[in-house]
Amino acid sequence: MVSSLVVNLVGHLRCFVVVAEELHFGRAAERLGMAQPPLSQRIQRLERELGVRLFDRSSRRVRLTAPGGILLDEARDILARVDRVYSVAERARLGEVGTVRAGLPSDLGGPIVAALIAAFRERRPELRLDLRETGTGEQIRALAEGALDAGVVRHPCDTRDLELGPMLGRPLGVLLPAAGDLAAAPEVHLADLGARELVVPPREEAPGAYDELLAGCRRHGYGPAAVHEARHPGFALGLVLAGTAVALVPRTDDTAGVTWRPLAGEPLVWRTSCAWRRAGDPEHARAIADFTTVATAVLRGAAGMTLLDAVPARRVVPRPSSGFLA
Amino acid sequence: MSEANRGAGPPRTARTTDVAERIRAEFRSAGVTGFLHVVDMDTGREVAVAAGEPVVLASVFKVPLLVTFHRQAAGGVLDPSEQVTLRPDERTAGSTGVSALLDEVRMSLRDLTCLMITVSDNAAADAVMDRVGLDAVNAAAAALGLRDTVIEVDGRGLHESLLTDAGAGSVAEVWARLDEPGVMNRLRALDPLRTSRSTPRDMTRLLSMIWRDEAAPPDGCAAMRRLFGLQVWPHRLSSGFPYDDVVVSGKTGTLPTLRNEVGAVEYPDGARYAVAVFTRSLLPTAVLPQADAVIGTAARMAVEALRRP
Repeated sequence: MVSSLVVNLVGHLRCFVVVAEELHFGRAAERLGMAQPPLSQRIQRLERELGVRLFDRSSRRVRLTAPGGILLDEARDILARVDRVYSVAERARLGEVGTVRAGLPSDLGGPIVAALIAAFRERRPELRLDLRETGTGEQIRALAEGALDAGVVRHPCDTRDLELGPMLGRPLGVLLPAAGDLAAAPEVHLADLGARELVVPPREEAPGAYDELLAGCRRHGYGPAAVHEARHPGFALGLVLAGTAVALVPRTDDTAGVTWRPLAGEPLVWRTSCAWRRAGDPEHARAIADFTTVATAVLRGAAGMTLLDAVPARRVVPRPSSGFLA
Repeated sequence: MSEANRGAGPPRTARTTDVAERIRAEFRSAGVTGFLHVVDMDTGREVAVAAGEPVVLASVFKVPLLVTFHRQAAGGVLDPSEQVTLRPDERTAGSTGVSALLDEVRMSLRDLTCLMITVSDNAAADAVMDRVGLDAVNAAAAALGLRDTVIEVDGRGLHESLLTDAGAGSVAEVWARLDEPGVMNRLRALDPLRTSRSTPRDMTRLLSMIWRDEAAPPDGCAAMRRLFGLQVWPHRLSSGFPYDDVVVSGKTGTLPTLRNEVGAVEYPDGARYAVAVFTRSLLPTAVLPQADAVIGTAARMAVEALRRP
């Protein structure tokens, strides 16, 4: 279990060192540019976290305790190392302005990835493109941590603090054994899938889209008897070929033994967009903008996604238990 | 152990760490990000999942408001039986209680607190807030040692900010537009740094003080416990304890994608647990039973871990 203080331990240690140097909470607060009550609170939290009293506040003067004196050297050591991390990062950042680190979902397909790389190379030949195959959930985490500059995410997902490109839609159809009776019709109603088993990408890759897909299936009368998770499209294809399950995927060329049919009324749509964090450096920001522009264009062209001008208006009737401030 | 140290808690055992991991998995499979603190009110043993993180209170702000009301009543600042008139055109929006009524209502302050807790009546809560005062609620929270609890706004203010930020005409429309790029980022009401906030730890501390007669004089605490026990909602905390001999009391909190409940769970052997669960769902869907139910399930997993000797 990681204490919540660990995240901000450095900030607390900085406060500790300044108070130890001033031995006066008012002056220390002034040096730190903060008010005195939150400074006292921070010291108290740090003392609770470490399980020792750092200062003796019983008399009118603030004095460092013996454990406080031992920890002061350790704290200074940590702060010096942290400062070094920032300076190393600063140098690295100056070198990294020339690189865009982007995440792509694994199911885009080879030709799309190739088209994206080619288009970016043409637009910004001097930049390096560092692509990683990673799902939406992982991309959101990596964007938040600064480990990625941009991504291609499937919605819904947690997009707080992220910039988003235009929303792109791709209707899903059903992949069926070519010999089955459903393959005979030009389109399939979701309810006609009855209780057939379903194969889908693992939930962890895009939990929001996964939950939305299954909720959409049930809403339209399809309740799969079992849901199989397949990381690789080839595995999903195998389950379809064997007649074990059907798959819900964007338009796919027919291959031997397998047929793709659209769903009547397009009840299920994958929604995809680029997502990125606003970069502080204008050059880096421009590089990221160029990547997301190129990626959006490729997704609209080669990947067959269409622009969703506005999210289709959803009808929402809150119930008392889910109403405003229930 | 002094009250001030209680939050830091006794050493965590391997078992409560293990249950925290299972609770996280339960939150994930329900499609929510969850924050939980469950503590045995009498021993201080606890289960914590991101329990010190700032969370949006939503209607849970009515709990510190109720506590402040009873502290003021005890101090003679207000008379709980004072009659208040609520005119239909001045009332805060909501789907329950006086908020849902059409005509003028005259009621005592303490009956208004009954509606604000048992059915989360927003009109009643704001009428109480008008009398008690936002600053008094924050002062009471500070006096009770709730370091991370801040009430920024009443129900009326939340309603206005939600509609303004979303550019919507109704809360239903806010729900419908949550999916639009950028809308979530603009909603101050859903951002713990820009609206009324607390932590699961602060809330279990407050609940424990109500159950131990420390938040206000004993008769005030008893009145508060009665109201939490009369809360009508069965879908969250209560759903996790389908046992006739277990008493579940609580107060929910709800805003788009946010589902919370804080409360107390009391077993026939006398053991009692303060519970605070705050969630945020991935799906922008108003009706999401699994996100409601996981509040009860997670609380039960924590309580059961604490009940094993």
